[in-house]
Amino acid sequence: MKKRKAFTILVLSLLLVAALVVAVGIGAVRVAPLSFTRYLLHQLGFRSVALPDQQDITIIVFLRLPRVLAAMLVGASLAVCGVVMQGLFRNPMASPEILGISAGGSLGAVTAITSGFASVSLFGLPLLTVVGALLSSTLVYFLSTSRGTTSLLFIIIAGMAISSLLNGLTSALLLISREYQVSQFLFWTMGGLDGRTWQHIFFAAPVLIPGIIVLGLFSRELNLFTLGEESASSLGMRVERTKRLLLALSAVITGMAISVAGPIGFVGLLVPHFFRFLIGADHRTLIPASALGGALFLTVCDLVGRSIAPPLEVRVGIITAILGSPYLLSLIVRIQRRSVRGIQ
Amino acid sequence: MTDALVRTQRLWWKIGGATIVENIDISVSRGELVGVIGPNGAGKTTLLRLLAGLLVPSEGAVFLDGRNLAVMDARSRARKLAFMSQETAQNFPFTVMEILLMGRYPHLGRFERETAEDHEKARRTLSYVGLSGLENRGFGELSGGERQLVLFAKALVQDTETLVLDEPSSNLDIRHQDRIFSMAQELAGEKRAVLTSVHNLGVAAQYCSRLLLLETGRVAADGRPEEVLRSEILDRVYAVHTLVSPSMATGSLTVTVLPSRAGVTGARVHLIGGAGSAVNITRELHRLGYVLSGGIAHEHDSDERLWRNLGIACTRVGAFSRIDNEEVLKAARMVESADITVLCSFPIGPGNQRNLNLAARARRLIVLAPGPGDVPRTFFSDEGRAIFENLCGNSNVMTYEELISELSRMKPAGKESSGPAS
Repeated sequence: MKKRKAFTILVLSLLLVAALVVAVGIGAVRVAPLSFTRYLLHQLGFRSVALPDQQDITIIVFLRLPRVLAAMLVGASLAVCGVVMQGLFRNPMASPEILGISAGGSLGAVTAITSGFASVSLFGLPLLTVVGALLSSTLVYFLSTSRGTTSLLFIIIAGMAISSLLNGLTSALLLISREYQVSQFLFWTMGGLDGRTWQHIFFAAPVLIPGIIVLGLFSRELNLFTLGEESASSLGMRVERTKRLLLALSAVITGMAISVAGPIGFVGLLVPHFFRFLIGADHRTLIPASALGGALFLTVCDLVGRSIAPPLEVRVGIITAILGSPYLLSLIVRIQRRSVRGIQ
Repeated sequence: MTDALVRTQRLWWKIGGATIVENIDISVSRGELVGVIGPNGAGKTTLLRLLAGLLVPSEGAVFLDGRNLAVMDARSRARKLAFMSQETAQNFPFTVMEILLMGRYPHLGRFERETAEDHEKARRTLSYVGLSGLENRGFGELSGGERQLVLFAKALVQDTETLVLDEPSSNLDIRHQDRIFSMAQELAGEKRAVLTSVHNLGVAAQYCSRLLLLETGRVAADGRPEEVLRSEILDRVYAVHTLVSPSMATGSLTVTVLPSRAGVTGARVHLIGGAGSAVNITRELHRLGYVLSGGIAHEHDSDERLWRNLGIACTRVGAFSRIDNEEVLKAARMVESADITVLCSFPIGPGNQRNLNLAARARRLIVLAPGPGDVPRTFFSDEGRAIFENLCGNSNVMTYEELISELSRMKPAGKESSGPAS
């Protein structure tokens, strides 16, 4: 098992590097296959390697690289937040979407756009997205908590209700706003990665990368959560405090990821499950594996979406949904077959 | 009192107006295995949770090794006290070893990993509870009993002086039950303090050095098993009749619940039924402790069958045969010696019409009015109707509910504490 875990992490890292090279190399405009490698090597100090021509450099550095990095950051964030939600609520079906965090983030973002706050300050959009995610998760949390215990069933129901409400508000806001465009509407309901620039990366990375690391430091606490809150508390963990901290941190990370790529679904559900199946439930390996795996998954989905029928682009959210729904269904069937008590 | 590991001081716990734990003062020393017993809802689990620091007392305090739990941080509490919860569900594919190592949590800093020593400790504990070789099995694949043993092992891996176990053997067969309580005894022998809730009083008597009997949140008795397990205490707390006797094999006490009707000599009631009309009332009065008799019934009728199975005296005639005056005379002794005779609702025809003559001999006759679901009291002869109307003139007519409530009120002596009506 130990070897398998180390092996999985190693393979994932290598695949991620490979995905980076491939995803930057492929696109609507043809670029010489080794351009990116040459550019990278040259920048790393191997001056003997000739730089590719200027047009290729522009495409790679200003168009594709930020997009691929955004996919990786967002994928890793959503997958890790999914792991955390599932562990916290002892429920394999929990995820940022189901708990209303994504819907809150989208509404925050759309509010920032329609109110003009986003054009006043560069921080406007990410800020309101994070605030929206935090508020909706707080609301769901308090709605489903009574007398100090949080009921899983009520979390799911409250999350669904709040999500529908907030999604409805998002659609309404987009319809009445003057900047209404179909692409905008699609972006804030399905998510996408088109047109992501270095600016998005510079805003998001300083929140997302440390955020994921901090969540990873709470792996052992997440392990304890799966025993039930009573057992976790008897082992010396301050359950309520840890739960609130992890929930808030996840909401901030998810909100930030949404401000970059919109509400991309299923990553937080699909990736953690796959790795739990592969390497077990111990969060100390599950979180790094899900971070790498989520980054890889979203990069590949985006690559598929933009290379199916170039120059047309299929949004990455559509690809994840098409892959995610059947997986979710197969998961339900498997859970039923093993009669694992999932939602209770 | 330096030996007291766990001590409570006027401990109360209330929720929403209800008092679950009321003014409990106990002290548990090293070397004691204390069984917390009591009926469902007596507050056993709540008391254990308070002792383990999982609930905050409404009033009073819990002291662990002399220090007030309220001012102890969770981590240092967890190094002194382990709690085994009833909860055994696990939705994620952890291995047994991973579950066991979670017991080391309070001993490790955030950036520390379990050492080889911790792994060895977990492995040994697993073999101590009898599950060696299951280290890498999925926890979720184990049986309910094995899961409980693993969680017990996890509490041992936590390595604390005090152990609080909430129903540790609820899913266990007798072999595993013996194992878990023997281990609890051994742990107490190592000068630890072990508190456990137990439902089975025989098990409590066999293994525990001391029993704490709870009754609606209060301590009803506290002492050695032979001091606590006494019929006069148990009968009151559990509302049953018990027989406490030493086991022939082990010498420890066994508690047997006696059938709730035993030894009752109360009022006598005779039932005149047929066509299943007396089934419910027979059951109800049987439980209330009345001495019953029945008849005249036809063989294989459902009333007759129930009376026969319950050993109730009854006069019978062959299936479909006519009741004659001869049988009435035979049955008359039962009716005349009964304090009350009840005439149930059944169709009356020439075959059973003599039952009405029988009813006429009653010392006190109660005629049951047919309820909505009952067999209607139809008459197939004018003679029968005439006798019946005559009977009704000098007796009470009651509905089933009225009858039961009246008979519950005048229950036979010695039955105050039993039955759902109390």
